[in-house]
Amino acid sequence: MPDTSDILSLESLKVHFPIQGGLFDRVLGRSAGAVRAADGVDLNIGRGEIVALVGESGSGKTTVGRVITKLAQPTGGRLLFEGRDMTSAKGFSALRPYRRRVQMIFQDAYQALNPRHTVFDSVAEPLRSLRLVKNHAQLTERVSEALSAAGLNPPGDFFARFPHELSGGQRQRVVIAGALAVKPELIVADEPVSMLDVSIRAQILQVLVDLRAKHNMALLFITHDLPLAWLIADRIAVLYLGRLVEIGSADDITFNPRHPYTVALRNATPQIRSDASRFELPALQGEVPSAARVPKGCRFHPRCPLAFDRCKEEEPPAIEVGPQHMSACWLPTSGAKAELSTPNLKSADHGSV
Amino acid sequence: MSESIVRYSSRSRARAIKSFLSNLLGHAGAQLGLLCLVFFLVLSAVPNILVGPLETVATATGDFLVPPSSQHLLGTDEVGRDVLNLVVHGARISLTIALLATVISLVVGTTVGIIAGYYGGRVDVWLMRLTDFFFVMPSFVLALVITPVVLEVMGRGREILGFRPSLFVILVVIGITSWAFVARIVRSQTLSLKERTFIDRARVVGSSNLSIMVRHILPNLVPQIAANGALVVAGAIYVETSLSFLGLGDPLQPSWGTLLSLAQRAGAASTGAWWYLGAPGLCALAVSLSFVLVGNALDDTFNPRQRVIP
Repeated sequence: MPDTSDILSLESLKVHFPIQGGLFDRVLGRSAGAVRAADGVDLNIGRGEIVALVGESGSGKTTVGRVITKLAQPTGGRLLFEGRDMTSAKGFSALRPYRRRVQMIFQDAYQALNPRHTVFDSVAEPLRSLRLVKNHAQLTERVSEALSAAGLNPPGDFFARFPHELSGGQRQRVVIAGALAVKPELIVADEPVSMLDVSIRAQILQVLVDLRAKHNMALLFITHDLPLAWLIADRIAVLYLGRLVEIGSADDITFNPRHPYTVALRNATPQIRSDASRFELPALQGEVPSAARVPKGCRFHPRCPLAFDRCKEEEPPAIEVGPQHMSACWLPTSGAKAELSTPNLKSADHGSV
Repeated sequence: MSESIVRYSSRSRARAIKSFLSNLLGHAGAQLGLLCLVFFLVLSAVPNILVGPLETVATATGDFLVPPSSQHLLGTDEVGRDVLNLVVHGARISLTIALLATVISLVVGTTVGIIAGYYGGRVDVWLMRLTDFFFVMPSFVLALVITPVVLEVMGRGREILGFRPSLFVILVVIGITSWAFVARIVRSQTLSLKERTFIDRARVVGSSNLSIMVRHILPNLVPQIAANGALVVAGAIYVETSLSFLGLGDPLQPSWGTLLSLAQRAGAASTGAWWYLGAPGLCALAVSLSFVLVGNALDDTFNPRQRVIP
């Protein structure tokens, strides 16, 4: 089991993007409100732990990743790295020690590589700018090492290639190699395999899992794919409209979800089973509300089939529903666990993911 | 191992260059423009070998205003100088001024554009207001105002970087009045480039702002800068010719505009000396047209979907 002391923790992290109002609003000094991309996220990641952050598009999962990698500035809450407050750290030189330890893997590997840089330049860039190597021989060695670790062998063959000469899987490996070259302690992987063919996914995931085994590297794996999260992660955190609705071990979240949203997410996952009728996926009703107009009370209540009066008025806190298992839902307080299997939210067989 | 890398890289680069050239030369305009430019560059590179040293009143070889003949292919001017000789020497002055002015314009324009686009916010607002100011500043008026000042300060006899002071003023004036156009194009392109994921990645891997601008944004701007640079040269030739025609040129280093101005003062139009007006005029027209053609072809080649109308 991974060492459990936290390497990173988020304390009620908020990222609100102000909406630029019209002229009329500005003259009257009226605020047009804000998009609440992250609205009080509490999350901690242990040393060498793989945490998956799951949510649909617009849930704010990418924003959380961007805050951790200091690409976005939080408007509230704190970002602690090994207990040290990194919330307001700014400037590339002040952030250099942090960057040496926290790296990121991007969703679209083609966009993440400068089309005019060779593979060598792209992988060498962090080593150069973070001043991790002393001379060119050392640089070449570290780049080769990183490319091999990311599964590009022999590394020398890739040095002089440009991104457009590589396949999608190879590009993602180059991005991974760039992050690995630094030997970080935490990698934020923002949907690293969602743009890849299913056949290549497994290989890339294997690379990520191996890293943890070899270097005890922690990983925040951002994805919209619950089965994938279960496959790779120790713990899963489910994000809905900028707030964590449920967090717990991968098995608990997948097989014993307590929040109606998690249940719905799981049931919406296609499963290859002989007994299931193919075109009957219990879909969630309605659209995700806009993050600019977050519903009052529990933010899931307009779509929740089990919502009752309290849900419309009060926002539920994270309630402990099991060991290391929290759910932000009023249901356990009403003693109505059994109701989770309404016609709308059919509970699937355990173990069939 | 390293051998195979080098071979691979040079082969792929050679292939890229080849396909770029064949694309570029696919435009009939680019062929014509490049041919014409090569011709004028040869003229301006070795004028002394082609037509001998620049003729002056003292070394004039012909009669006054003689029409083209086998001895003077483009006739002579009002003091008996060979017009061909003057035009070939004028090519050197005109092209040098235009190219150097373009270098100033591209360097200033690119720097201002990248900084404004990359930093955004207040920096962007102020730099763009500055750009607007230079955008609307008339080059003629500016040249007329600062030429006497520079001449007074520097003295008439001295040369600055091999240029007589009035030519140097023209060069600088063209440079500072044409960069605004480049700055706007570079800024708009930077605004879209800085939102690309590879800029985020550069930030995450610890690159400084300067290094992001120089190593990530600038190389991706090269197509726009090259295509618009060619258009700036065309504009510079036009402005240089006009300023010299107004009398801001230097008779000891005559450009095409200076020749046009001399011809006009000698009454070339009314006496029917068409060769005297026509030769420098057609040259200026041909060179700026060539640059426009090449610029448009470059633009098409680099970016076939996004046509920029100059």
